[in-house]
Order: sequence, then C-alpha cells, then structure tokens
Amino acid sequence: MTGTIMTPALISLSFGGAIGLMFLMLGCALPVYNEYWPLFLLFFYILSPIPYCISRRVVDDTDSASNACKELAIFLTTGIVVSAFGLPIIFARASVIAWGACALVLTGNIVIFGTILGFFLVFGSNDDFSWQQW
Amino acid sequence: MSGFLDGIRCGDCECNVDWGEKRNTIASIAAGVLFFTGWWIIIDAAIMYPREDQFHHAYHTCGVIATIAFLMINAVSNGQVRGDSYSEGCMGQTGARVWLFIGFMLAFGSLIASMWILFGGFVVASKETVYPGIAVFFQNAFIFFGGLVFKFGRTEDLWQ
Repeated sequence: MTGTIMTPALISLSFGGAIGLMFLMLGCALPVYNEYWPLFLLFFYILSPIPYCISRRVVDDTDSASNACKELAIFLTTGIVVSAFGLPIIFARASVIAWGACALVLTGNIVIFGTILGFFLVFGSNDDFSWQQW
Repeated sequence: MSGFLDGIRCGDCECNVDWGEKRNTIASIAAGVLFFTGWWIIIDAAIMYPREDQFHHAYHTCGVIATIAFLMINAVSNGQVRGDSYSEGCMGQTGARVWLFIGFMLAFGSLIASMWILFGGFVVASKETVYPGIAVFFQNAFIFFGGLVFKFGRTEDLWQ
C-alpha cells in the first residue's frame, strides 16, 4: 500500500509546491510589478511545519485525545499561516507592491499551504513518525 | 491508457470524521486565527498612520497587556485550578487560582481600555481618522476572544 499510494502523491505534492512557488515568483518578477519584497514569505513557508514537527517528536503519546503541546503547535502554525496572508496585504495597502502582485502571492500561499497540509495528511499519519522512512 | 480513469471514485470519501475528538484542533486553529488577526490589524494601522498625532504610540500598550493576559490565562490548565492534577506546580492550587484571576483581570482590563481609547481618544476628540482607534479596539477584542476560545474551547478529558 505504501508503494502504490506514496509515489503518485509525492509527485502531485511536489507539482503543487512548484506551482505555488511559481505564483510567488510571478508576483515578484513580472516586469509590470518588479518588486521582490514578497520573497519574505519564503521565511513563513519554511517556518510553518516546524512547530508541528517539534511537537510530534517531543511528545510520544499519540493515543490521548488531548495533548497540550500538539495544540500549542497547531496554534503557532495557524499564526504563521495568518501572518503569511497578512504580510502581502499590508505590503499592498502601504503601496510597496501592487494589488495584482498581492493577488498572485496570495494564490501562491493557498497552493503552498495546501501542499504542506497534503504532505502531512499523506505522509504524517503513521504510527511511528520517524525520519528513517526516507 | 485505457481504463486509467477507472480508479477514480466520486463521493467515496470515508468521512467518518469524529468531530468530538477534533474539537481541540478546531479550537486551537480558531484561537490562532483570532489572536494573530488581531495583531496584524494593529500592524496595518501602525503602517498606514505612522504619525504620533494620528496614532499615539502609547496605545500599543493595550495590545501588549492583552497578549500577556492571553499567555497567563492559558499557562494554567483547568486541572490545576480544580486541584486534580498530579503535581502541585510551583504555587499549588491557590497560586494557580490567583494567577488565573490576575490573568482574567488583565484581559478584561485591556478590552475595556481599548474601548476607552476608541471613544475617548478618537471619537470624542474628533480626530480626522478614527481607523487607528477602531484598529486598537478590534485588536484587543480579537485577542480577548482568541484567549477565551483557546482556554474554554479545548477539553482536557483524556478519555471521551
């Protein structure tokens, strides 16, 4: 089962990631916009899986329904996602980037966070979440 | 190539999601959205109105105190306040209650202060742009409700 479902999922997730980054780069590099401030969002993309991964590694009891560390990690991850949507809007309101660039960057956001979520749904729900699977 | 669409099934999602055990996750996500939206509202107001006479910089204190209150309220679990957790913690059950009391006092205080700032500092004073006052009010309201959702939206029952 792992062989039949993992490889097409991996390919489609990597395609999704590429499309998301394409939208981000379009929002920066198109000649009509030509402002590279939205590249700060890469910082948020890299930061977003970290709290949840730390909580999965630190706390091992996956069978209890309530788990304060995991909930704190979900809270922080939601904060990072909200910040990744808020930053381009603030850039556009302050006229640092154009609203068209903002729209492209927000679309890229949606695709990339969907990809990261899909990554965790497909590859994360194992009983022993370990990096040795790679 | 033939039959490559045979594997796709529509409406076959085994959505037997137990919403009861997802309650904590949904509460955490809602609290995160509320809390951070509040902060981004004030960041937006600070960027759009940078001058001291448009948006007096001391009004940021309200949101900072609200954030401290959020952290204080959520630092103690309901079990420690009820007294039925295994370890007593630093200060025991009474200490946990005092901590929670002070946390809620700061939370309510910052919410009331934000309303005072909006009406006293912007509406009555007839500033030409009221938006910074509205932003302070909404920041504190969102942080307050985010704190409430994070505190009371999650359940600590380990066996449901």
